[in-house]
Amino acid sequence: MIEKHERIRYIALLCMLLGIILAGFTVDGVHKSLVDFIKIQTSSSRLIQDFTAIGVGGALVNASLVALIGLSLVFFSSVSLSGPTLAAVFTLLGFGLFGKTPLNNLPIMAGVWIAARFARKTLGSYSLIALFGTALGPLVTYLMFETALPLPLSIPVAIMAGLVTGIILPAIAGSMLQLHHGYNLYNIGFSCGFIGLFASSALRASNRMQPIFILWNTQRHVVLVVLIPAVVILLFSVGIISSHGSPKKLFTDTKKLQRLSGRLPTDYFDVVDSGAPWLNMGLLGIASVLFVLISGAPFNGPVLGGIFTVIGFGAFGKSLKNCWPVVLGVCLGTWLFGKTLADPGPILAALFATTLAPIAGQFGIITGIIAGFIHLIVVESTAAWHGGLDLYNNGFAGGLTATFLIAILQWYQTNRSKEDFKS
Amino acid sequence: MKRKEILNRLIGEVTNFLLEDNPLRLVVSLHQEDDGAHLSFFDDRKRTEEELESIRTSLNPKHTRPELAGYYGMMAGHDTSWKARLNLIGWQIKGASVKNNDSGLQIDFWLGSDAFNPDHFTIEKED
Repeated sequence: MIEKHERIRYIALLCMLLGIILAGFTVDGVHKSLVDFIKIQTSSSRLIQDFTAIGVGGALVNASLVALIGLSLVFFSSVSLSGPTLAAVFTLLGFGLFGKTPLNNLPIMAGVWIAARFARKTLGSYSLIALFGTALGPLVTYLMFETALPLPLSIPVAIMAGLVTGIILPAIAGSMLQLHHGYNLYNIGFSCGFIGLFASSALRASNRMQPIFILWNTQRHVVLVVLIPAVVILLFSVGIISSHGSPKKLFTDTKKLQRLSGRLPTDYFDVVDSGAPWLNMGLLGIASVLFVLISGAPFNGPVLGGIFTVIGFGAFGKSLKNCWPVVLGVCLGTWLFGKTLADPGPILAALFATTLAPIAGQFGIITGIIAGFIHLIVVESTAAWHGGLDLYNNGFAGGLTATFLIAILQWYQTNRSKEDFKS
Repeated sequence: MKRKEILNRLIGEVTNFLLEDNPLRLVVSLHQEDDGAHLSFFDDRKRTEEELESIRTSLNPKHTRPELAGYYGMMAGHDTSWKARLNLIGWQIKGASVKNNDSGLQIDFWLGSDAFNPDHFTIEKED
């Protein structure tokens, strides 16, 4: 039995996802959208492949279907639709615009289900791993359509690779958490990058790894520009409805969320009982849109994907207060190294570096800025390491950055001479 | 040795929490059955009613959260450098009682399989 507040969340998400499908059909027509949707399933999906360059309508349909599959998994695995699961659904929606497809997601989800059966757990226990683990979806697409193997051979190989990935993910994800102690919000991205290193090495060893290329849509599409503001209006509306007409409580609870470090796992829906998490998500959405506008970057698939992910984690670890220092660190790095913020690498790094927001939340502004700065340096190299197979490349780089910083901070913390026993 | 690892993690996180107040005495007591276990922790630092309520809330979450228990619960007991996080435990146990005894704080909690009946242990009934 779903509680009332959870029913509101399902209704809000369903309205949003169906609205996005409708927007896609309106822009390109039903026929072209569906044709492009099919084309997207067989297109390359490694970093960075902007599906909106294939067709805006098809990309929007694909993204919504990917998110609907995620939402169905949450519903049928009987876990609550709250902070972490909302973050996952928004992340799926975002990456459905540049890399995730229903075709490449399902084998990985099935693999995680097999792992759950093996460990005698419910799928609910591993639901977050199943949802975020689809970051390695490009591995499935790549093996299926880009290795020049005949389809009767490549299809089973790709499905098997997806299943194996899903089966080993719970083990890897659990271990990776211990490295950064929950200070990297995209932990599965870190884990998938780790697995991606082995997968890309195997492909290189067999001379089947092709170089990465970037498909980056720079055309202006009105529907892509107004999409986030429309979603923000929905988020604010749900926030107000969920607060039972008490704007003061909504305001004080939103302020309360800003004071949290955001370290994993901080479900904002557990911290407050008003609509403040929705408001926080909306505020992060507005801030992200303004940032993209100021930077001059296009509102294309990957950029929208970054914004949707930031919005999603507005219920699970991110706030304006813990995000801005990290983003500032990326901007400083961009300026210092003479890069352009609107370019694919820096703009995505700035949006996704907020995976390190808990570091700023816990250790302060300066540490947050340093984290963002290091993140920019690292993230520019990591995609090549895993051959673009891990869509959460910033989660991988963020994990490395967090592990690096936390190791130093932990060493400093555990060597306080004042607390030694008297000799 | 699954049971050993879970107990290790839970004991690690609670002792991390108790050691934050620098107690002079800390006792951990374990009682195991085939289908469950009872863990008790005692120290010599009494807590205020507000602090007790905060610990109770963390250890007795309103809802079961299998998605958090099975994944993020693995962090329990590993990080002892910073503040303890009792909510990591709350998702993994059947229930907990928290009170001040004659000398200090006493935390009891129960964990086990679905077949496990905490009534067979020394669980306290609410009046």
